[in-house]
Amino acid sequence: MEVVLKIKSHYLFNAFLIFFVVHATQIGVGVQGFQRIIFQNAHQDAWISVIISGVATNLLVFMIIKTLELYSSTDIYGIHHDLFGLIIGKLLNVSYIFYLIMSFFVVLRNYIEVIQAWIFPELPLWFLSSSMLLLVIYGINSGIRSIVGIAFFSVTLSLWLLIFIAYPMKYANWKQMLPMFEADMISLLKGAYHMTFTVLGYEILYTIYPYVKEKKKVQKFAQLGVVFTTLIYTSLMVVSTVYFSGEQLERTIWATLSLFKVVRLPFIERFEYVAITYWMLIILPNLILYMWSASRGIERIFNIKSKNTIWGISILTIIGIQFFVTRNQVNTLNGVFAKFAFFVVTVYPVILYLFALVKRKLLKKGAS
Amino acid sequence: MKKREIKKLLNKDVPVEKVQQIISDIPLNSIKLKELLIQIFHNTSDLKFIKFSNLTLVYIDNQIDKHELNKNIIGKLQKERTYTIPEIVSNLAVSDLEESNEIQFVVLSILKGSAGVYIEGEKKIILAKIPSENSRSITKPENESQVIGPQIGFNENLSTNVSIIRKYIKTPDLCNELFLFGTRTNTPVSLLYIKGVASEELISRLRKKLRKIKIDGMLDSAVLNQLINDDYLSIFPQMLLTERPDRISDGLLNGKIALIVDGSTMAILCPMSFLEFFHSREDYNVRWPIATFVRLLRIMAMFLSVFFTALYVAALTFHYEIIPQALLVPLGESRSRVPFPPLFEAVLLEFIIELLREAGARLPTKVGQTMGIVGGIVIGTAAVQAGFTSNILIIIVALGALASFTTPSYTMGSLIRIIRFPILFLAGFWGFYGIMFGFCLTLIHLLRLSTLESPYMAPFYPPRLKDWSDSVVRLPFNLTYKRPALTRPRDEQKYDPDETK
Repeated sequence: MEVVLKIKSHYLFNAFLIFFVVHATQIGVGVQGFQRIIFQNAHQDAWISVIISGVATNLLVFMIIKTLELYSSTDIYGIHHDLFGLIIGKLLNVSYIFYLIMSFFVVLRNYIEVIQAWIFPELPLWFLSSSMLLLVIYGINSGIRSIVGIAFFSVTLSLWLLIFIAYPMKYANWKQMLPMFEADMISLLKGAYHMTFTVLGYEILYTIYPYVKEKKKVQKFAQLGVVFTTLIYTSLMVVSTVYFSGEQLERTIWATLSLFKVVRLPFIERFEYVAITYWMLIILPNLILYMWSASRGIERIFNIKSKNTIWGISILTIIGIQFFVTRNQVNTLNGVFAKFAFFVVTVYPVILYLFALVKRKLLKKGAS
Repeated sequence: MKKREIKKLLNKDVPVEKVQQIISDIPLNSIKLKELLIQIFHNTSDLKFIKFSNLTLVYIDNQIDKHELNKNIIGKLQKERTYTIPEIVSNLAVSDLEESNEIQFVVLSILKGSAGVYIEGEKKIILAKIPSENSRSITKPENESQVIGPQIGFNENLSTNVSIIRKYIKTPDLCNELFLFGTRTNTPVSLLYIKGVASEELISRLRKKLRKIKIDGMLDSAVLNQLINDDYLSIFPQMLLTERPDRISDGLLNGKIALIVDGSTMAILCPMSFLEFFHSREDYNVRWPIATFVRLLRIMAMFLSVFFTALYVAALTFHYEIIPQALLVPLGESRSRVPFPPLFEAVLLEFIIELLREAGARLPTKVGQTMGIVGGIVIGTAAVQAGFTSNILIIIVALGALASFTTPSYTMGSLIRIIRFPILFLAGFWGFYGIMFGFCLTLIHLLRLSTLESPYMAPFYPPRLKDWSDSVVRLPFNLTYKRPALTRPRDEQKYDPDETK
């Protein structure tokens, strides 16, 4: 396997599109109902937890890009291969691919959960999953530039949904924010820890990095993307805190979607029906980018064409999704995945960065 | 079948007996020449030979201008004497004279309207171009009318069409490359571009595409358009077909490339991004706030046309909760007599509208008006009174049909009308989820498409912020001094923004 990738120039895309890629993958299913768990830990100071997790994400993104910058143009698979050799490298690559497929699966299952709970209780799992997979396969087959395009349109075409977050402010009770700074450090950090499931997505940089044209600008735009996400999360947290009472929020699973329930326009009521179906556009780049990264990885390691792997993963997903039918099963899946993901997206980048740094230092010493 | 195989079939040589194989040179005596030509033309009745002194005149009866033949060719050559080639050339009063010793070229020229003059014993034929003028006069463009701007449209004659363009753009930089298409029709096609503005890379891409085409008949530019599209399976047009010379000239000035096919009233303009199909030349003739308003209106009309009926069906079938109470009562009242589910009701009505449109397009103009009355009033009112459809749906469907006609490009307009049927069915079966599925699928498809291997969704994706000033909006001219990046123009600025106000 080659460590350094040479990508043909017509596959490269502009660095500032990384803003949309990072933001689009971060916003997904987590945002639909992260408020409850954070609130359980940090109560009215939950917004501080959100900001803490945002800052931590900035640091992690910084480290991820620094790791990638040590090599001129490579992805995580190449780094693993270079750092840990053939066998351990392959093992790590396979587990990373497993993580990607798992997050793909979790995102898909959670979105279907929302569709079934709010709009179509009778639509079967296989139908919903295969229709989404159809879009994903079509999207991946159109090439990396179109995939980034989907991420771009997903962000720009859903900005209007943000306007409606302001709608519940009519009924805001600002006293619910008080007293401020009551939570202790541990519960704040616990809250931030539970944000993992919501903020993850930036690890897409590990696989998409070689496709960026101006690699020096990646840092800037990736950080901006993360900041934009944190801004949205924080405002959502604040709006939820002032709109819902504490007890209510602790019982609301999908707080963001419940916020849309309040919206009442002269020609439309129950706005959440529109919002949830529109969410498909927000979910789509998540699914496509995860699946793309996984199929890229399999292509890199085992030399299997990504077209075949996509179909393979899709069939496995449709079969696998049948094992997660009830709300409890989905919850367990989310819990297990959140722990796994916490390790992969927050702990592991640090370890990988240190390894890469040490290796670089040792090499330099050896050379001199 | 795979894409490649289909392409192979398209590119396959059409078996045609080639004129070249029969003979490569001109026989030395007039009887043999006559025999040869009769053989090549399969003894056609309108091939005429005139013999006098040592000359033989050959032409096709209906292809040449008789008056000119009598006056300028026969009239100048009637003396009883033996002629030589230079004498004939100096005697004939025809501006377009050619000499040829290839029988294939001679045959083609005769077909196009030349009279051949053969001198006994010579190995050359002199060709005098006197084609009969049977093209109609230039008229108003019928399908793309505009209020403010020139009222001139292309006709079926290639030279007329090129000359109209040359009247708009008087510069030696306007290049005209001639291609011949169709092994049986031999249709000339002009490739027009402005050197120094249009990108050489795009031109060579187009040339490559044109050279690949092997087809036996080319009757219209719409066929050529489909043959050179990047994705020939897609429903979306990737190149513009227009009958307006000002639209073509505007495109040429922006670095685009035009193709004009002889015998077709439509010229092809490429590359075209998706959004440019919603632009009209008139947008530049009116003041910018008006142009911006109209453009926004058209974009809204597109969405309305595609999604409005579908939203109605989805809301009534699955999501009646989203309809406010005040609206629910009139909706329920108007639907109370209708025995069908909303999907069936909507499909029926859309089908009727499509029937009316198609009938209106095919019928002679005089009957067409009657059709409008029959369709609009009789069917519309009667359908509601009979309880087939609801009043509100009639409004929605009529609005959708009306909106689809605001698109300046006819091909894009008909696409919008077709594309709403799948979305209607998706909405009828899976509600908003189905509509959104259709929307996402279309979006991915649009992102996949390219026009002359340039991005179809430009200037939105890849984002080129500078071009946004002339996209869904049109800002004043001092802000739109750059040519769009889609065409990769060699000369990027149209004019100096500081000097223009």
